[in-house]
Order: sequence, then C-alpha cells, then structure tokens
Amino acid sequence: MIEVKHLIKVFEGRGQVVRAVDDVSTQIAKGEVVVVIGPSGSGKSTFLRCLNGLEEFDDGQVVIDGIDIAGSATNLNAVRREVGMVFQHFNLFPHKTVLENVTLAQRVVRKREAVEATDKAMALLTKVGIAEKTNEYPSRLSGGQQQRVAIARALAMDPKVMLFDEPTSALDPEMVGEVLDVMKQLASEGMTMAVVTHEMGFAREVAQRVLFMDAGKVLEDAPPAKFFTAPKEPRAQMFLKQVL
Amino acid sequence: MPLKRRSAQWPWQGLLVVILLGLAVGLWIATKQVNYEWRWERVPQYFAYQDEVAQVAPFAGRVVKIDADGAYSQVHMLPSAGGSPVLITVETDTLKIADGAQVAEDAEIGATRHWRVGPLTEGLWVTIWLSFASGFIGLIIGLIAGLCRISKNPALRGLAVLYIELIRGTPLLVQIFIFYFFIGTVLNLDRTIAGIGALSLFVGAYTAEIIRAGIQSIPKGQTEAARSLGMSVAETMIHIVLPQAFKRVLPPLAGQFISLIKDSSLVSVIAITDLTKSGREIITSSFATFEIWFTVALLYLLVTSVLSQLLFWLERRFARSD
Repeated sequence: MIEVKHLIKVFEGRGQVVRAVDDVSTQIAKGEVVVVIGPSGSGKSTFLRCLNGLEEFDDGQVVIDGIDIAGSATNLNAVRREVGMVFQHFNLFPHKTVLENVTLAQRVVRKREAVEATDKAMALLTKVGIAEKTNEYPSRLSGGQQQRVAIARALAMDPKVMLFDEPTSALDPEMVGEVLDVMKQLASEGMTMAVVTHEMGFAREVAQRVLFMDAGKVLEDAPPAKFFTAPKEPRAQMFLKQVL
Repeated sequence: MPLKRRSAQWPWQGLLVVILLGLAVGLWIATKQVNYEWRWERVPQYFAYQDEVAQVAPFAGRVVKIDADGAYSQVHMLPSAGGSPVLITVETDTLKIADGAQVAEDAEIGATRHWRVGPLTEGLWVTIWLSFASGFIGLIIGLIAGLCRISKNPALRGLAVLYIELIRGTPLLVQIFIFYFFIGTVLNLDRTIAGIGALSLFVGAYTAEIIRAGIQSIPKGQTEAARSLGMSVAETMIHIVLPQAFKRVLPPLAGQFISLIKDSSLVSVIAITDLTKSGREIITSSFATFEIWFTVALLYLLVTSVLSQLLFWLERRFARSD
C-alpha cells in the first residue's frame, strides 16, 4: 500500500542543516497497522507528513497504492483524498459546525450530493460516538470529542490509508482512552494505519509493526512483542527504559 | 468580609453634563462675539423644497367653469376659436382668474407645486453611492492585491508591494488629481469614474494589507487539514482560510470603510457634486455658512454611524461559532 524508498528531508535554517528524515526505506502493507515511536525531534512526525506530501521531501520516493506522490505527472490532491490524516491539534474548521466539518470535503472534493454527504457524516459521527453534537461548533467540544470528529472527517473521504500524527498528545489524560478506542476499532476493521504516538500501550496492543526512529533514521523495525521485550539497539533500550 | 462597595458614578456623570453644557455655552458666546445671525430655518429647503410651476392658458378663450376640489381646482376653458373645452388643473390658492373671465393666450391661470429633492439630499446620495461603489471595488482590489502580496511568485508579490507602497506613501488628494488630470485625460474618463477609480485604488491598498494580515493570522494547521483532505489551494482559500480571515478583519475593515466615506469628501476638488461640494455651493447662495457646515458634518456622522452599527451587527452574527 505504501512504499518508501531512501526518503530524505532536510531542514535548513540559521546556518544549521538538520536531516529530519535521513534515508528511510520501509513499506506498509494493506491492512497493516504500523506505529512509529521515538524521542522528540527524531523526525517521526516529519516522516509521516512526507507520506501525504504535506512536507515536500528532498530525495527518495514515496509510492502510495502504485502512485509516486512526487512524480511530475501526479496530482497530489488526488493522492491526498485517498490518504486521511489526523493531527495532534485536531485542526477542525472552527467556522463550521461538526456536521459541516465532516461534509465539506465530501462536497468540495468528492463532489457528493448534500444528502449523501450528510448520511455518510451522520453514520461516521455515530460510529465515533458523537452523533448528538452534529450542530455544535468545534469550540463547544472537549479535546477528545474534537479529535473524534477529526477522525470522522478524515474517514468521510473513504481513504485507503489513515495517518495519525500524535493524535492523543494534546488531550487531557482522561480523554485519551476514547480516541484510542476509536483507533482500535478502525484497526480491527482492517484499515491501513501509520500512527506516530507516545502511547506504548496502543503500540503493544494494536500495532503489527513498530518503527523506532532516532535522528531521522529508522533504527528498529520489529513486531511489538519483540520490540518491547528485546530491543536490539542501545538507543531503543534507553528510550524504552525512560518511557516504560 | 463585606463586598467592596463600588464607588458612585453619578458625580462623574454630572461632571460630564456640566462639561458638555459649558462647551455649548462657549459655542453660543463665540458666535455672539462674531455677530453671527443663525438662520437654521434656511436649511430644510436644501433637503427638499416645493417647486412652483406656472400653468398658462394654451390659447385665448373663456373660463366656463371652475371646480374647486379642496387643494386643487379644475379650470374648464373654452377656446374662442371654437372647439371642445380643455381642463387645466392648478392649486386652489394660486388661482389667478375668476369664473367667466376672458383669458388671453399664455396668460397665467395658476400654478402647480411639486416636491423637489434639494442639493443636500442629492449630495448626500452622491457621497453614499460613490463610497459604496469605491468600497466594493476597493474590497475586490484589496483581496486580489492581498493574495498577490503573500503569493510565492516574486512578480506578483513585487507588483503588490509596489502598488501598496505607492498608494500608502502619497496623499489621497494628490492621487485624485493624478487620476483625474493624467489618467482621466489619457483614457478620456468621466470625472465620476475618475473619482471612483482614485478612491477604489486608495482603499484597495489599505484593504490589501488588512486582508494579508488576516490570512496570515489563520493557523497553518487549518491549511494543512484542508490540503490533507484533498482540497486544492484555491478550494482551501475559499472554504477555509478566507471565511475565517474575513471574520477576523471585519473590525479593521469597518474602520477603513468609515474612513472612506469621510475621505470621499476630497473628490469635491474635481468638481464631483458630493455632500461637501453641495454644501459649498449652497453657502454661496444662502450665506448660512455655519448652519450648512454643521448640517454637512451631521450628515456624514449619520452615514458613518449607520454603517458602523451595520458592521457591528454583522460582527456579532459571525461570532456565533466562537
């Protein structure tokens, strides 16, 4: 489903050159849940953002469902509608109601009729357990509720892949569970997911593979059972000692 | 512990009244000093007045009958050359002939009165539509220039910066002269078009900066969320960024448009008969200098406060999603 070859992303500024993603190659199969973990500044968010072209990478190749996203003939907007993304700070549209947040892209991008888009939105909002708030504005919702709406908004486009960029990091602790539950449900339904997170429990329980990144490189690529019990890399061992 | 008592407001409100009264008295004394004779009764006629149109006999003949019907009188005239009688309607109190009188051709029978719009009303209307036309065009220019200003294309950005700096760095009065005497002559423009053009370009430059600031104040995450859903740059602008930016810049935009109404008085220098020019013209015939200028000022104040109330209402409507 996703194939990444020798991906490089360099940030330049104030005379410093940071190789945020440094020669990463990996692939994510259809229906697979991959969790990316690592210390802050390790490039895991940047790596995820390269996967749907939000971050323009400097070298390498990202192929999604057979389409090279940096190809000269590729319509990046067409690729992005197949790749859902959930952000750390939700990024709901504050001037739209919950329902409009979920229907807008369906109408504008997928050109769906109002009735069809609303039905789809209602079904998804019910699924994420927030159907009673459809006519509220996002500012009236708690963080956990906002993030669930954001997930519904991404799912409304019928994406083939979902990217999660630290979806629970900005939430109050008691709201983390409700968002993780939705993500677990998605995983069990066979959605292809790439998740950047600090929730080790989620990684252990749901992930098929764990990528450990540090300084822009993928140091470990192993099933969670193996990664959490017997990490090979000393840096991964250090990291796990600190977070667990 | 008892709650802290709020200090009384009434002494200060009393002071306010005293100060305002003092100002009014000062104004009155000042006009006494210059021996100015106030003639407020002359002002209303410049808003609207009754025009008398003399009605004359279309031919020599005889009045055969006068039907007085309240304010109007129907005068039946029989031509002396023969033929059917003709009906002439005049105001009863202007009737100059009696029943049965012989009337020569073109002799005045009476008059009719019509309400006419006075020069102050006409000037006010010109000011209003001139400001709204320039405001609307200026908003469109400002939107385009503002978008060019943040464009990644250096040519577009350079043009926008040049335009904004040129307009903001020169006086509006000079711009109006240049627009009328230079551009207006080259392109053979009507003075009204030249006036609207100069005002639109002027307000467009300020609007561009306001809109640029508004767009840049919208968090990057909004654009990223929209783009990640597959929206194009234009769709993101139209559906996500501009509506939010517009809501934020409404107060400064409102201020800009209120200034525009006031600045529009400068177009009177190219002989557009707006409120200010009407006022000047009236003064030459009425000599009621103080009254007319106070009236003109009051009319500007009226328009600007109606507009600011309207925008305030709009702002509150937009605040629903906060």
